[in-house]
Amino acid sequence: MPAFNAVDLSILWERLVSITDEGATALIRTSFSTLVREGFDLSVLIFDRDARMIAQSTKCIPVFIGTAPITLKHMLAKFPGETLDPGDVVVSNDPTIGTGHMYDLAVMRPIYRDGALAGYAMSITHLPDIGGMGFSVSATEIYHEGLRLPITKLVKAGRLDDDLMELIKLNVRVADQVAGDIHANLSCTSVVVRQVLDFMDEYGLASLTPLADEILAQSENAVRQALLAMPDAEYVSEAEVEAYDEVRTLKCRVTKRGDRLTVDFDGTGPCVGAGINVPFPYTRAMALYALKCITTPAIPNNDGATALIDVVAPVGSILAAVPPSPSAGRHTIGHFVVPLIFDAMARIVPDRVTAASGLIDIMTFQGRHPDGRQMSANYFVCGGFGGLKDMDGRQTTPGSSNMGTTPIEVFEPLSGLVVEEKALLADSGGAGEWRGGAGQRVVIRNDTGHDLVLFSMANRTMFAANGMFGGAAGTKRVHLVDGEPVVGQGRHVIAPGGRAELRQAGGGGYGPPDARPLPAIAQDIEDGFLTPEGAVAAYGERARGLG
Amino acid sequence: MLRLGVDIGGTFTDFALVDGAAGRSAIHKRLTTPGEPARAVIEGVAAIAAQEGISPADIGEIVHGTTLVTNALIERRGATVGMLVTAGFRDTFDIGQEQRYDLYDLRLKFADPLVPRRRRVEIAERLRHDGSVIRPLDEDEVARAVTGLVADGIEALAICYLHAYADPAHEARSAEIAREVAPQLYISTSSGVFPFAREFERWTTTTANAYAQPMVDAYLAQLEAGLQGLGFAGRLAIIASGGGLMTLATARQFPVRLLESGPAAGVLMAARVGEVEGTPDLIGFDLGGTTAKGALVRGGRPFKTYAFEAAHSYKHKTGSGLKLQIPVIDMAEIGSGGGSIVTVDELGLLRVGPRSASAVPGPVCYGRGGTEPTLTDANLTLGYLDPGFFLGGKMALDAPAAAAAIAARTAPLKLDTVRAAWGIHDIANEDICRAFRMHATERGFDYRRSAMVASGGGGPIHAARIARKLKVPRVIYPAGAGVMSAFGMLVGATSFEIVRSFRASLAAFDAPAFAATLAEMEAEATEYLLKAGLSPADITIERRLDMRYAGQGYDIEVTLPADVTPDEMPGRLPDVFAAAYRATFDTLLDQPLAIVALKVEAVGPRPGMPAGLAGGDEAGAATAALKGRRRAFFPAAGGMVDCPVYDRYLIAAGETIAGPALIEERESTILIDAGDTATVQPSGAVVAAIAA
Repeated sequence: MPAFNAVDLSILWERLVSITDEGATALIRTSFSTLVREGFDLSVLIFDRDARMIAQSTKCIPVFIGTAPITLKHMLAKFPGETLDPGDVVVSNDPTIGTGHMYDLAVMRPIYRDGALAGYAMSITHLPDIGGMGFSVSATEIYHEGLRLPITKLVKAGRLDDDLMELIKLNVRVADQVAGDIHANLSCTSVVVRQVLDFMDEYGLASLTPLADEILAQSENAVRQALLAMPDAEYVSEAEVEAYDEVRTLKCRVTKRGDRLTVDFDGTGPCVGAGINVPFPYTRAMALYALKCITTPAIPNNDGATALIDVVAPVGSILAAVPPSPSAGRHTIGHFVVPLIFDAMARIVPDRVTAASGLIDIMTFQGRHPDGRQMSANYFVCGGFGGLKDMDGRQTTPGSSNMGTTPIEVFEPLSGLVVEEKALLADSGGAGEWRGGAGQRVVIRNDTGHDLVLFSMANRTMFAANGMFGGAAGTKRVHLVDGEPVVGQGRHVIAPGGRAELRQAGGGGYGPPDARPLPAIAQDIEDGFLTPEGAVAAYGERARGLG
Repeated sequence: MLRLGVDIGGTFTDFALVDGAAGRSAIHKRLTTPGEPARAVIEGVAAIAAQEGISPADIGEIVHGTTLVTNALIERRGATVGMLVTAGFRDTFDIGQEQRYDLYDLRLKFADPLVPRRRRVEIAERLRHDGSVIRPLDEDEVARAVTGLVADGIEALAICYLHAYADPAHEARSAEIAREVAPQLYISTSSGVFPFAREFERWTTTTANAYAQPMVDAYLAQLEAGLQGLGFAGRLAIIASGGGLMTLATARQFPVRLLESGPAAGVLMAARVGEVEGTPDLIGFDLGGTTAKGALVRGGRPFKTYAFEAAHSYKHKTGSGLKLQIPVIDMAEIGSGGGSIVTVDELGLLRVGPRSASAVPGPVCYGRGGTEPTLTDANLTLGYLDPGFFLGGKMALDAPAAAAAIAARTAPLKLDTVRAAWGIHDIANEDICRAFRMHATERGFDYRRSAMVASGGGGPIHAARIARKLKVPRVIYPAGAGVMSAFGMLVGATSFEIVRSFRASLAAFDAPAFAATLAEMEAEATEYLLKAGLSPADITIERRLDMRYAGQGYDIEVTLPADVTPDEMPGRLPDVFAAAYRATFDTLLDQPLAIVALKVEAVGPRPGMPAGLAGGDEAGAATAALKGRRRAFFPAAGGMVDCPVYDRYLIAAGETIAGPALIEERESTILIDAGDTATVQPSGAVVAAIAA
């Protein structure tokens, strides 16, 4: 006999999620980090007293799925819950127990009710800076990448550790903004704690545990039903990816038995000497994200949704990096985990996956404004989304992660650069019965009068987004400086008046191109996704004369 | 003077006639004529005049609001529009904002642009963000482009250049050229419609404006002619999304500002009702057929916002609609209306909405072919509605069918039917609470110290319980709640607001440039009011700034104190900003300040509060107003109870009624919960004190 009926449960559950969403909204509105406010690179979570995650803000990106419980577990190993003072705040940015790079600071407060531990509140945001070599792949060891904080009490019994704040501020570039974002996290977790206590009072809950049991059981059961509906089998996939100046093969084996599913990345190659290695929690997060899209996209995320899924990867591989391997730009490789799993699962659930996507191009520009002020700006550009069963892949849409674009009218004053063109890249999406989404071309001119450095963290420059079930691959990503192709992962200087051109990868097509009807191809030409010549190249002579 | 408010809604067009001198008002309701909305207005004016024994010529002013533009965007029934756009950016609408609005749903849909790609033509020109010219305007290219678009059959043109908010010269010159080439074209420029940074939203707004222009022009022409034909010779005004009145000329120029004009009027009225009842801080709550809306009022003024999403294209989700920039009354809208359909989701949990049975087929109990249970069916099953007195008895409700549909849909939950109906009612309340809580928290509004004003057909049934959940201590049920927007038309002041990007750091503040920009905006905003016939002495100017800590991405709005001169701003603004920031986020930072935008609003005199619909001569003691009793579900009183039912029109001011009780009027039913006490006010409003 459940402790809550269906009506009560949905009300209580949604209320917890809405508390985390309120916290996330306040962080987005006050943050100094572009990644937080345009890219939702943040998360707010509530745990019960047994450190089980029961509510997570809906505005977040995949990296936060399943990582915070690991972080909390390590925090509590060092500072057991019952030893915490209600006024303590514990922080950590350790990539190996967090989200895979040191920009993300986890801030945790215990929730005490009438003197007894009731749970934990946590918020995590991508800080504007963490020192070291900046947000790039340039480091060869983790020690180059900035300040790595041990699990520490930033606030002890209500008193902020000024020495620690001073240490952080001394080690980062925009000290006041970093401090501002840390304070925003402190205030966010304090508001979440207060609201959870109000919520428990309002509904007369002496403990979160019975509610947590129910939420987790319901979520787990939804995943179980989804898994039971799939045939037992073992599926494999692999992909080659460019890894700085090498090539790595990523391997994935999905084993589905009854109500359990295991994803094993055994056979994946070793780390490289650049900041693109992926610590395991990030790999696991991406795998859990892909499986959530497939199994239960409509229910809120919590630990129950991940209980039946195991993810493993060989320690020291590029998908389970350990120090001193650097990892600041771990998304560069980590984003491939989602298409790997979609590819493996395509034979089981062909209607719930996408062909490979063009993915996101994340870069940092550093230099000076025309008036000499220091400038550092992140910029994101999207490739095309992969095709799906009965649905074309959307153009210029983020796959794997979900960063939003910065409007040109905001980016130009922020950076002092001029965006000369941002246009659909015709003939870039893979052909198919359901075609892949088009990429885009962005041309940025260095109008600052000073040298400009582009720290690029691009992928898909050597290996395109593959099609699925006979669909064709999209075109590859290309970076050019003054018309000359440059490597996708590295540091490039752009002289005053010079230009960077960023051609974004197209998404893969779904199903054989021959099955695409002529009117759809004609519409693609009308929409700027295909040129008339490109249509013939992709779909053959039957497409001649269209457009 | 006789004044008439007209609210053209999706189903009904409501009329409220107010005689200021005599202190009385009358209402009229008739079906909207969707294909030709002016017709219902014209016929309704004639009808209410006949009903009240006056001539349309006696009416001094008609103010109306319309869903014409909202519906045109939803149904995509606008003009054929062409677009001129800065070279390199023809695809801005297709590329979009490069973010999925739902992280886990791989099959999202986004709103299609209002102008198809082939009617977007690139023009050689380019400004920097400070307005300086990188590439001069190619005037010949503009002429060629317009000629081509006209040949392609466009009726309206949107001119959208990058950074045009910083200097409108290129857009203005292009408009001039276009007028020479094609004098009949409707033209909207992005610097004219809303000169604010963020190209995707500004251009979307500009194309929406162009899209609506020919239709609004034709509608207003028909309306003017029709009313003239009846002998009406007074002033005709239209209410804007931000709650201000516009002349028809301004409405023809900026039709995109007519979005949400009806609901805006409802909020204005809620604010005035709150004023009369002595609660300047309140939540306006309206529950209609398809959605519930909430708006916050602080110090008698509704909150405004400048971002609005119209015409959602996928599962009612935020992110799937057209993203617009207009001054609009800031409303939380959620898909919980009377017609919201009940489902049991994949987790075995009960859900209400956002799918709606709408007016057709409507809830099961309407007996018009609806088969899926809705919120209204639950409210009927719970005894809150009288099957024989819906819309004053004009429409019979089928209670057994409603209960059967609920029982069938909720069978997997193994609850009895009344318990399931209560779940539906309560989940709708909780969904609404969640939206309101979020909305209020984001805006630093403490609803526990406010009141709630309930309106709409369903608002008065749900308000008391929502208020209790939110710890709102008082709920006000104004007289005429069912036609509140029509009354709201008559309480708005003529106004026009201009918003312009103005980026400056407070540390390096250029006082002369600021003063010049401000003066320019004031002159422009004032001009619209002078054209509406107001005298300069009647116009007040309000100035507000969007500010942030330098480096942040979002702003806080601060009101510029009236006495501060531009030279004093760097000294005065930090405190003004700190107060606003702390009120919202509970904290302050040690960071330099930046100004992002200026807002100037010219406002005319505010009309007086229209006389209400207070009880007539026959009103008396509550006991005499008792119509009967019926079984209704009040968990706070132990479950199904024998509940007294009162006739609102027969209760005199000063009378009190303790819950549980139902108070019926023609358009809605007030639910007074157990523990709460209602008192009838001299204004005719019923005010309930909500138990903690």
